[in-house]
Amino acid sequence: MNREKTGALLCMLFSVAYGLGAFSIPLTFLSQDETINARTMPLALSIAGVVISLLIIVLPTVDREGRLTLKETFLGLDWTRAVWFLGLTVAYGLIMKWVGFIISSILFLNAGFFILGERKIKLMLLASIPLVIGLFFLMSYILGMYIAPGEIFYLIGVIE
Amino acid sequence: MWEGMIEGMWVGIQTTLIPINIAVVLFGCFVGSFIGMLPGLGPITAVALMIPVTYGLEPTTGMVLLAGVYYGAIFGGSTCSILINAPGEAATVATAFDGYPMAQKGKPGKALAIAAYSSFSGGTIAVILLMIAAPMMASVAKGFQSSDYFALMVMGLTAVSAFAGKGGFLKALLMVVVGLMLSTVGTDQTSGVQRYTFGSLNLLDGISFLLLAMATFALTEGLIMILKRQDTTGVFKAENIGKISDLKVTKKEFKKILPTMGRCSLLGFFIGALPGSGATLGSFLSYGMERNLAKKKDQAEFGKGSIIGLSAPETGNNAASSGSFVPLLTLGIPGSGTTAVMLGALIAYGLEPGPRMFADNPQVFWGVIMSMYLGNVFLLILNLPLIPYFARLLAVPKNILIPFIFFFSIIGVYLVTFNTFDIEMMVLIAAIALIVRLLNYPMAPILLGFILGGLMEDNLRRSLEIYDGSIAFLWERPVTMVINLITIGFLAMPVVQMIMAFRKKAKVNALDDATTD
Repeated sequence: MNREKTGALLCMLFSVAYGLGAFSIPLTFLSQDETINARTMPLALSIAGVVISLLIIVLPTVDREGRLTLKETFLGLDWTRAVWFLGLTVAYGLIMKWVGFIISSILFLNAGFFILGERKIKLMLLASIPLVIGLFFLMSYILGMYIAPGEIFYLIGVIE
Repeated sequence: MWEGMIEGMWVGIQTTLIPINIAVVLFGCFVGSFIGMLPGLGPITAVALMIPVTYGLEPTTGMVLLAGVYYGAIFGGSTCSILINAPGEAATVATAFDGYPMAQKGKPGKALAIAAYSSFSGGTIAVILLMIAAPMMASVAKGFQSSDYFALMVMGLTAVSAFAGKGGFLKALLMVVVGLMLSTVGTDQTSGVQRYTFGSLNLLDGISFLLLAMATFALTEGLIMILKRQDTTGVFKAENIGKISDLKVTKKEFKKILPTMGRCSLLGFFIGALPGSGATLGSFLSYGMERNLAKKKDQAEFGKGSIIGLSAPETGNNAASSGSFVPLLTLGIPGSGTTAVMLGALIAYGLEPGPRMFADNPQVFWGVIMSMYLGNVFLLILNLPLIPYFARLLAVPKNILIPFIFFFSIIGVYLVTFNTFDIEMMVLIAAIALIVRLLNYPMAPILLGFILGGLMEDNLRRSLEIYDGSIAFLWERPVTMVINLITIGFLAMPVVQMIMAFRKKAKVNALDDATTD
């Protein structure tokens, strides 16, 4: 199966799951008799998704790019780095609340540079620290946005 | 009508000449060119990245800024195409056909200057046409009802798919449906019922369009660069910058590209004004038209560094970018992924996009249009001397650039809601979008479907209520019927193309058989 048809198959499964999910949408007593209610659009979209996916699976693939196999598409790519980077982004989201904007952003940028192969410590620090601190001051003092400090500072008593 | 137009223009001029608006046009053009020049980043990312900045501004100033970023990014994208043959997005692919060979021949400065003059003329002529077409369209659309709007949105979404290119129709249509599906997440505006929230309070307001735009474009682009180990620094070195300084274009060359600029401005504008086509089609059709019209001697030059071949797509894509504001400002229907993001911004500002905006918010409507004149002038006088310095960006290594792309995208979304859940959501959507992109499916239709989803459901609901639940609303009003017929035409287009291709193939086979016999 080529990559285009695989995509269609995945979309078809998604459409089926989405359609089944539509039946779990709660309806008020009155809306059950209405011509259009909160379930109508999702059900119509689910049917449209299944039909279009089926057409892509059944009809011949016209686009040459789409004829590549999954092996040709996914092999030879640098998945390790991409997964590491995604993991780093998740970690950034998790730690931001605890350590605050400045520390988490500097850590994120430097870890990102490192994952992608940068090893010049001076360049990494020069590229990240002034930018993050500058951005923090721009947002806090010029644009007047409130950026909450990390909760850890309350826990260790630095901020009361 | 003309009186109203002159009055509107005056409002637009007054709005544009407010110091803050002049400053944001300049800033928008600068930032747009800067981001657009980065390999892999196109106008959608540029506009999405700037939206959080605009939340602190007046809606008019915000839209003026975003418009500046849009055409600045289109302009910046051509620099990337010309210097390193790496178009940031589809609209500047045709620019690389002749721009890159010209740069290879040792004339990168001339190629960039021709691109700048062509962009300027395309943008300026298209704004004049926009000034005439937009109010006319808006006055026609004033009488539109829910059924017409529903039909228009369906037409816009179908058109996006119809113009998706060979073999792309069904894929684009499927992505539109996925976008529409995502738009149903959250609280249903009419009944107040929760849909697909899985009990999470974070999903009650649905998925933010900014989050979706950043995840599907900026983050996915960064991930693709990581996966494919794309490093543009090897292609463009800082020492090459010196060669860019020679920006001189001779009188003879100017004379040669002048008719091209005129023709492609007109074609680009009309293509851009069609919902769904946008700058990409504008640039390719302009290139194709000029190649067909060129003299035999000039035709042979196409693909080898022809100045006409470079000027045509550059004029066409800039004119189409301005043209795409016609459906956005008058009907509230985005013609492309970028204008879809801008529509999302308009809704976020609390404005109601559509023909009423022409009457209710003339300063936004005319302010955006008139600011484009200023923007085009700024782009020319700002970019020509700054091109050699901007080009240094292309020498920034990937391992520094990508974390910055991620950082600004995440911060852009986080600073709007201050909710770290959004970051996790972005990562999830980016990972899924990456797989979808690798499977060769387009991303822009998802955004279009997502942004139009809520409006479409509202209009469908209203139409059905007016017609007592009957689907007769699809044909009872002549306007709705005409729009629906156009939609059917769009749907039939790929089928007709397929039949024609099969017939052509059968003819060739028959001829081959005859010769073998």
